[in-house]
Amino acid sequence: MTVTPVAVGERSAVAARSRPVLRLDPRTKALLVLATSTVVMAPNGASFVPAALVLGVLLALNEGAWRRAVALPAGAACVAAFAYLLPLAVPHPAVGTFAIMAAYLVRFVVIGGVALHLLSTTSPTELTAALRAARLPRAITVSAAVMLRFLPTIIAEARAVYDAMRLRGIGGWGGMLRHPVLSIERFTVPLIASSLRVAEDLSASALLRGLGSVSRPTAMRPPRFGVADLAAVLVTASLATVTVLR
Amino acid sequence: MIRIDGVRWTYSGADAPTLDGLTLHVRPGETVVLCGPSGCGKSTALRLMNGLIPHFHEGELEGGAHLDGQAVADLPLDRLGRRTGTVLQHPYRQFFTDTTETELAFALENFGEPAEHIRERVTTVLDEHHLRGFTDRRLQELSGGQQQQVACAAAATHRPPVLLFDEPTSNLSAAAIERFTAMLTRLRAEGATVVIAEHRLHFLRDVADRVVALRDGRVHTEWSGQEFAALDDATLHAEGLRGLTLISRPAPPPAVAHGASVAGPTPPAGVPENGVVLRDVRCAFRGRRVLDIEEAFLPAGAITAVTGPNGVGKSTLARVLTGLQRHEGDMFLDGRRLSRTQRQRASAIVMQDVQRQLFTDSVEAELRLDARSQALLGDLDLAHLSDRHPLSLSGGQQQRLVVAAARLSARRIVVFDEPSSGVDRRHLHSITQVMRDLAAEGVVVLLISHDDELLAGAADQELRLKAIDGT
Repeated sequence: MTVTPVAVGERSAVAARSRPVLRLDPRTKALLVLATSTVVMAPNGASFVPAALVLGVLLALNEGAWRRAVALPAGAACVAAFAYLLPLAVPHPAVGTFAIMAAYLVRFVVIGGVALHLLSTTSPTELTAALRAARLPRAITVSAAVMLRFLPTIIAEARAVYDAMRLRGIGGWGGMLRHPVLSIERFTVPLIASSLRVAEDLSASALLRGLGSVSRPTAMRPPRFGVADLAAVLVTASLATVTVLR
Repeated sequence: MIRIDGVRWTYSGADAPTLDGLTLHVRPGETVVLCGPSGCGKSTALRLMNGLIPHFHEGELEGGAHLDGQAVADLPLDRLGRRTGTVLQHPYRQFFTDTTETELAFALENFGEPAEHIRERVTTVLDEHHLRGFTDRRLQELSGGQQQQVACAAAATHRPPVLLFDEPTSNLSAAAIERFTAMLTRLRAEGATVVIAEHRLHFLRDVADRVVALRDGRVHTEWSGQEFAALDDATLHAEGLRGLTLISRPAPPPAVAHGASVAGPTPPAGVPENGVVLRDVRCAFRGRRVLDIEEAFLPAGAITAVTGPNGVGKSTLARVLTGLQRHEGDMFLDGRRLSRTQRQRASAIVMQDVQRQLFTDSVEAELRLDARSQALLGDLDLAHLSDRHPLSLSGGQQQRLVVAAARLSARRIVVFDEPSSGVDRRHLHSITQVMRDLAAEGVVVLLISHDDELLAGAADQELRLKAIDGT
């Protein structure tokens, strides 16, 4: 009995992916993330925050993520209140510093909204195929593929090590507070050891199956642009235009 | 097909060579089984055949290895990969994607096959390997046996002439082993060359053309398939090999238990004083019920074997017992209800992957050695290693070290989760002895296993689980 979804320490680390109304090409989703982060993080980026927020909410509605569609504007509003309203109410240098940090946090929140759509609707396989189709260099596509594959493994291993620590009586907050350095060591050493072992098997198998080989990889289901992608680009362009003309 | 001539291989950092004068020729279409005690070089020989040695693992290679007439050292790894399909001992570690279909397509995509051809081939393989039922689930959600099926299919999708299996049945139930044997028979009929490294041998007696016993990195003895099938247990014992016949063990008495997860429920009897009692224990994952036990009694001083097909909640039960799992219902030890935290303090576990449980910098520190533990180390064949760092030990040695730590833990509940995977005959006995000693001290011992040889020697009673109806 190796791994049932519930076997000791080996649980599915990624939630099931949702099925959106309009299926966007992974390249479009990645482009939206890239475009949003570029304009929002640019010097005059704050003015693009409302447009990015609207985009994030539309994408959340598209994939049926109702909770995110509500939480995203609510969260952004809260942080924005700290950034712009609090200094008016309490004029104090400390509050001012805090407000500047909050103003940056708003930008990250709205970019996160667009990025979450990419992560929650795209499987690692699709994303890798999209990166390849976008003709990115192999060094980037292979490392991105490996990273996407390995992240859930590390999470699963970390959970298993933590479980083992609890049974040996060296886990939990009590132990952590009494012997912080020792606790970190006892957590990281087995985590690294077991992750490395998984990594060895994984990379051996992937190399034998041609990952990073000289032949140009193909895709079983090549990504294709469709009407949905056109719609997404048009919506995004109009949001940007409104922002600029305002 | 495969020619290995006088190969000597030393892993970098190792004191002694793992292969030392290995000569082995495998003809096209032949099915060869490699067996022998832990550390004899079985897995390393497979790595030499698919080119992971010398291309992936570091070390010093002398002598020649040829695949299909070409020197392995001269071929790049991906060209070797086109000619070989490899299934590792832990299939879930080798999956690169998260669904069955994409996993099957993975090699073909990397080898640059046209999309149309990939789709056709994946469809064919899905049918040939009976994987249609898995396509709507994620690979992590499949049971160990199902993952093994997918890994075998993925290794064969690009039609390599050579297939290599490293301890393919170590975690499989009897039914899953039967499916695996059927697949081997089919691959053989199609003319594939197959090499299998394995401890459990009974299922291979009718499939193997040749059985090669390795010892100290070279061929020790060789039998034809027919000679091997006729060997008696005494000869196998002398070679340190596991038995050839499926042990028809006298079924141990069933544990007192009933509930939707229990196969062959036994009606409730009077509640005995010592041991674990489970009441109305239920677990669900994402709305899917995986464990449902109305009542079960696991007596102190006895080894309770938890058996049943892959994926019926055996490991979940272990997590409930050790307090790692949230669940409905209660658990009592010696009549006292224990919270999850109390259970964590009262129990120890030997996990399937033991590297996750080695926390200190020496074997000695791991066990806080005293006179009693010295004797135990001797029994478990670890005495000469007490100064070593636990992470520098071999997989089998690490496992026995965690078994030793569980033995010395002085906990009332000790769980062994598949402790015999990849274990040879000698160490099977020493691990059984540890469980016996624990039970003799009044510990509640839970043994999760598919291994009939282990169960025959160890189980006092059996709690057989089944899939919950309608899931």
